[in-house]
Amino acid sequence: MKQEFVDAVKSGKVLAKKCTKCSHLHLATVYFCQNCGAKGFENEILNGTGTVATYTIITVPPAGFEKYTPYAWVVMKIDDSELRVSGFLGGIGSPSQLPMGSRIKITGYDDRGILLEKQ
Amino acid sequence: MEKVCVLGAGSTKYGKLDDSITDITIQASIGAIESAGIDPKEIQAGYISNVFGVADKQVHLGPVIMSNLGIPEKPSLSIESACGSGSVSFREAFANVAAGFYDAVLVAGTEKVTHTGTEWTTTYFSYCSDFFYEGGAGASFPGLFASMARAYLNEFKATEEDLAAVAVKNHENGLLNPKAHLRKKISIDDVMKSAVVASPLKLYDCCPFSDGASAVILCSEKFAKEHSKNYVNVIGSGRGGSPATLQGRDHMTTIPSTKLAAQAAYKMAGITAKDIDFAEVHDCFTIAEVVDTEDLGFFEKGAGVQAVREGRTARNGDIPINPSGGLKAKGHPIGATGVGQVVEVFEQLTGKAGERTVKDAKIGLTHNFGATGASCAVHIFQGV
Ligand SMILES: [Zn+2]
Repeated sequence: MKQEFVDAVKSGKVLAKKCTKCSHLHLATVYFCQNCGAKGFENEILNGTGTVATYTIITVPPAGFEKYTPYAWVVMKIDDSELRVSGFLGGIGSPSQLPMGSRIKITGYDDRGILLEKQ
Repeated sequence: MEKVCVLGAGSTKYGKLDDSITDITIQASIGAIESAGIDPKEIQAGYISNVFGVADKQVHLGPVIMSNLGIPEKPSLSIESACGSGSVSFREAFANVAAGFYDAVLVAGTEKVTHTGTEWTTTYFSYCSDFFYEGGAGASFPGLFASMARAYLNEFKATEEDLAAVAVKNHENGLLNPKAHLRKKISIDDVMKSAVVASPLKLYDCCPFSDGASAVILCSEKFAKEHSKNYVNVIGSGRGGSPATLQGRDHMTTIPSTKLAAQAAYKMAGITAKDIDFAEVHDCFTIAEVVDTEDLGFFEKGAGVQAVREGRTARNGDIPINPSGGLKAKGHPIGATGVGQVVEVFEQLTGKAGERTVKDAKIGLTHNFGATGASCAVHIFQGV
């Protein structure tokens, strides 16, 4: 299921799962409804656009991220949904470059995880 | 359910230690055994918590520790729950003694990582997150708590200086703790001028990577009464969980598992947050202590920073938080921390805390979680 999710991200979308019993919406990587416990889902494709819910600017990175430092790791609220998704947003060195609520979008996926950019 | 007691407690110094992970775990365990005044043969089981034994070439620590204590035939459980390993392990030991399976058990937590360096620890600690969304996208642990901090500063009337005040307070407490990793007085200015690790958190907002081991002897009330007059009752035990990711939470300024664990522990103890005299809480970062004290019910949401400003959480305040110095100054050997908190509460409630004694304390609380609070345990203790 994760590969399906990654494929959607690569085309700038978010694959969500909607519970067929109670309509609760989840990110794709869940197997039972968090709200009612039911197992049936139908796919729902969301646009990978949204706003910055919160973020940090990393200056002491984990291995593999040295050459991108500093960069932002961001939690994005997805447009027209209550869901959030997080990922890597490069080229940010100061909070003034990324005010809370800024419009951002998913642009791809690679060894830095889900890639985000400012809209 | 049997009543459960802490009969003895021991700890190594926290900091950069030379001895192996096995040696420090044995040292803390012997401390607990001697403090309890028991023979190792009286221990019926061991609960050994650790996260990165692999860094010191020793996993499956349970049988190694039991063998070194001369009781290789006794069962043990080696437990990992990230930074919450110690309290989760304590809870399993508590449940088994409460259920009557054992009369007396050893609970030991341990960690040895400082020799690996900052890059190794930053990288491996990030594996404690939901790696696909967080560590794998470049989020370090300071980064995850920094994201909570930014959300908090944005939502409530709080400043980076307010967060710095938590570090200043815990360093003051750490100065009085001979086993603390960082024994150095610092000012708000020192925190504000320290290097940014993950904005808005700076170096002095972060706890250090520490080595260290802590251990306690947990037993039935009957066993305790036969061995000592100076023990501590465990009157509440609660656990809870949170979504493993920050993105999975509706609010990023609260940790759901803390609330669940606290509610369960208060209910078992038949008390409320108002009855707690002092607490050892999980302050891996300054923002965490603020969020914890709100989620534990000591203050309203958003009022935690005001309480720090007014000195209410200082050692002589109305609800002292982290008199040991906390993870921030005492140090954070991640597999040991949850057990180390119990060691502090034991010492406070049995008159062994020396200079850092909280005046007239009768009831203490420990709060410890794994990662960004995905796993959490809260325990409440009362002196006899
Ligand atoms: Zn449902």
